[in-house]
Amino acid sequence: MLEIRDLHVKFHNRDREAVAGVSLTIHDGEILGLVGESGSGKSVTAMSVAGLLPRKSCDYSGQVLLDGTELLHADRSLLRQVQGRDMGVVFQEPMTAMDPLMKIGHQVEEVLHIHTDKNKQERRAMALEALAAVELPEVEVVYEKYPHELSGGMLQRAMIAAAIIQRPKLLLLDEPTTALDVTIQAQILELLKKLNRESGMSMLFISHNLNVVRKLCRRVAVMQRGVLVEEGDTEEVFHDPQHPYTQRLIAAIPTRKRKEDAP
Amino acid sequence: MNGYLRVGLILTGFLAALILLGMFWTPYDPQAMSVGPKLAPPSLQHLMGTDKFGRDIFSRVLQGAGTTSIIALSTVAIGAVCGTAVGALTGYFGGLADEILMRLNDALTAFPSILLALVVISILGPGKKRNVILALGLVFIPSFARITRTAFASLRDANYVKSARLMGASPARILLVHILPNTVSVLLPAVTIGFNNAVLAEASMSFLCIGVTPPDASLGYMLSEAQGMLNAPWYVIGTGLMIVLMVFGVGLIGEGLQRRDKGVA
Amino acid sequence: MKYAAKRLLMLLVTMVIVSFLAFLAFDLISGDPATAMLGTQATPESVAALREELGLNRPFLVRYGEWLLGFFTGNLGTSYNYKQPVWDLIGTKVMVTLCLSVLSFLLITMVSIPLGLWSARRAGGRLDGVRTAVNQLCMAVPPFFTGILLSWVFGVMLHWFVPGSFPGLEHFGSALKYLFFAAVAIAIPRIAMTVRMLRSTIMSEMQKDYVRTAISRGNDRGEVLRRHVLKNALVPVVTFLAQTMAEIVAGSIVVEQVFAIPGLGRMLVTSISNRDYPTVQAIVVILAFWVVLAGTVADIVNQCIDPRLRLGGDA
Repeated sequence: MLEIRDLHVKFHNRDREAVAGVSLTIHDGEILGLVGESGSGKSVTAMSVAGLLPRKSCDYSGQVLLDGTELLHADRSLLRQVQGRDMGVVFQEPMTAMDPLMKIGHQVEEVLHIHTDKNKQERRAMALEALAAVELPEVEVVYEKYPHELSGGMLQRAMIAAAIIQRPKLLLLDEPTTALDVTIQAQILELLKKLNRESGMSMLFISHNLNVVRKLCRRVAVMQRGVLVEEGDTEEVFHDPQHPYTQRLIAAIPTRKRKEDAP
Repeated sequence: MNGYLRVGLILTGFLAALILLGMFWTPYDPQAMSVGPKLAPPSLQHLMGTDKFGRDIFSRVLQGAGTTSIIALSTVAIGAVCGTAVGALTGYFGGLADEILMRLNDALTAFPSILLALVVISILGPGKKRNVILALGLVFIPSFARITRTAFASLRDANYVKSARLMGASPARILLVHILPNTVSVLLPAVTIGFNNAVLAEASMSFLCIGVTPPDASLGYMLSEAQGMLNAPWYVIGTGLMIVLMVFGVGLIGEGLQRRDKGVA
Repeated sequence: MKYAAKRLLMLLVTMVIVSFLAFLAFDLISGDPATAMLGTQATPESVAALREELGLNRPFLVRYGEWLLGFFTGNLGTSYNYKQPVWDLIGTKVMVTLCLSVLSFLLITMVSIPLGLWSARRAGGRLDGVRTAVNQLCMAVPPFFTGILLSWVFGVMLHWFVPGSFPGLEHFGSALKYLFFAAVAIAIPRIAMTVRMLRSTIMSEMQKDYVRTAISRGNDRGEVLRRHVLKNALVPVVTFLAQTMAEIVAGSIVVEQVFAIPGLGRMLVTSISNRDYPTVQAIVVILAFWVVLAGTVADIVNQCIDPRLRLGGDA
């Protein structure tokens, strides 16, 4: 469903390639975890998929195929067709990722505005439905609120609602829980699991937190300095990490927590 | 060193040299009448021509630019020194004085500087150079105070300032040695903007004949004189261009400084 | 609407403070108006009589109260110089300056907003440096210089208008034509500043995270700008335009002199030269009111745009 082939990205103002030859596949209905520390190139990989690379200020090569459609080199108008409709993105900081002057409801239904001819009532109905799907309470009230009136967790739910309103094939999640409290984090993970189970949406989940990935993803890929160092079944990677970097990452998890989380 | 800074420094340096020269020597006596033919257009003898009294305009412009620059520099000096002092103290110590002064500051900076300067000068008495400097200097204090206050307040809690405080440095030392040098990047562009505002404000006031009046002819006064001699348009153009070039040069320096600090080419 | 009412109340308080300061300052410096009005013919008896007539023997606060009340009843005191009620002197002049200010403001917004958008779009391009330099150059041109050049070119040479003879507001069309040239002189440096401001505001908004979100939903550049960025950039721009209103007032003082427009600014300058304090006082307070009003309107507009400004705060 999503296939990344030999992706290279190098920013003009950096010496090292941010992504140096990454190949990844996400199957239908799968949640793939992409792990690595900051600067490992995991976010750049996701941005390449989402069509958000600053094309003018970087060199890139390789292929990004979403159901066979090449996106990396696709022209803007084709890319815009895919963005929002076949692919939704959720970012790390819900507070800044939302337009502070636009009502939540209008941001959630923006994708419909761009990609469909639905009228105001239809859009509103779908937005309310999406807000309910991400388990927000009092959706009619939330619809009318501005971002600064909601908590971080609620905002992130609204962001997810905005990303899934068109039932995209792929949901890109760039550290969606990092900015949130641990309890809220767990709720969002549960929500994502539910969405995946019920709609069969594929997800690329990016995090620097191995524990979070383990809770959500069947399969995991580990990146370091722009290169994919390990890929495989999450539990296998956890119990028997092959690459020294992965071993160090796992060793860095506080032990008490690791016991707690062990199945 | 970016392009703006380079061009600005060259232009300003050139003008400054000309103006400095003009303080000691001008081609002709700026006040003397009939040093050449009346209403003569620019020529090699009279670079900017002559006016209806046969005075050499280039000499007059040099002298006027000298007066204008001295007033602008004194004004900025008053504004920058007093403003920085007020801003530094209120920004570093905060408290009630800070609240009150900044409220007052908000109110004052909402008004155009020339309007305030006119009010002050009408109180001090129009037509004297000293009063013009005092009026403009007073008017420019609030804007400098505000800029400095923001810079000092943000550095007050910087870690290196905290550590200096822990090592027992006195507030005076912290303010002067530790914080002030780090606010230079904010203050320098402010000085260039202040200088330009001062030049324009002084020129406006003198143009209105309530700033500097003869014998201290400033560029503004000369323009009002020149407006009455439109049959010698080179008088207007020469004088006006001098103001434009002075402000443009310093403006480019300011632009260059701001871009250098932001790290944009 | 509650915040608008609150803001208007604050406007009133500010105006009372400003007028009090103005009254105090001029009361302290102006000396004895009775002596000033009678000039050389002053005898102790006539001064005393006039003081009684002008009510100068009463306490300061009473006189301030009356003067302030005068603003609402149209009684602004008597000019020393013309021996006429100040209101009669400045009544029509207020309208002239108002026309000039509105004309300049329209000119500034109509030119600088499209130009600013264009300049933001072209930021970082090849001619960016040249555009910035031109911008700095325009900011360096003082309005009175442009004013003289305009009246020389369009007045003396092309005879489009007669410099020095303002037709008066009764002939509205030709008056507007006359004022237009003055407005251009005021507008040029201010347009340059507004363009520069717009450019940097839009550029910094374009860096924000919500723009990335908007792009990820499939908006094209124009839609991102229209739907999100412009609204977000509006708040600082509105504040800036209020400042522009204040700067126009300052510009009009000088430019009215250049074009011999019988407005408030020209009157102010004459009155300062003549030390005609009641007139200066009245004009300063009117201009100050204008400035503060512009700020208040900007605040209210901004609160309508940005819901975050509606919460408590200083509003």
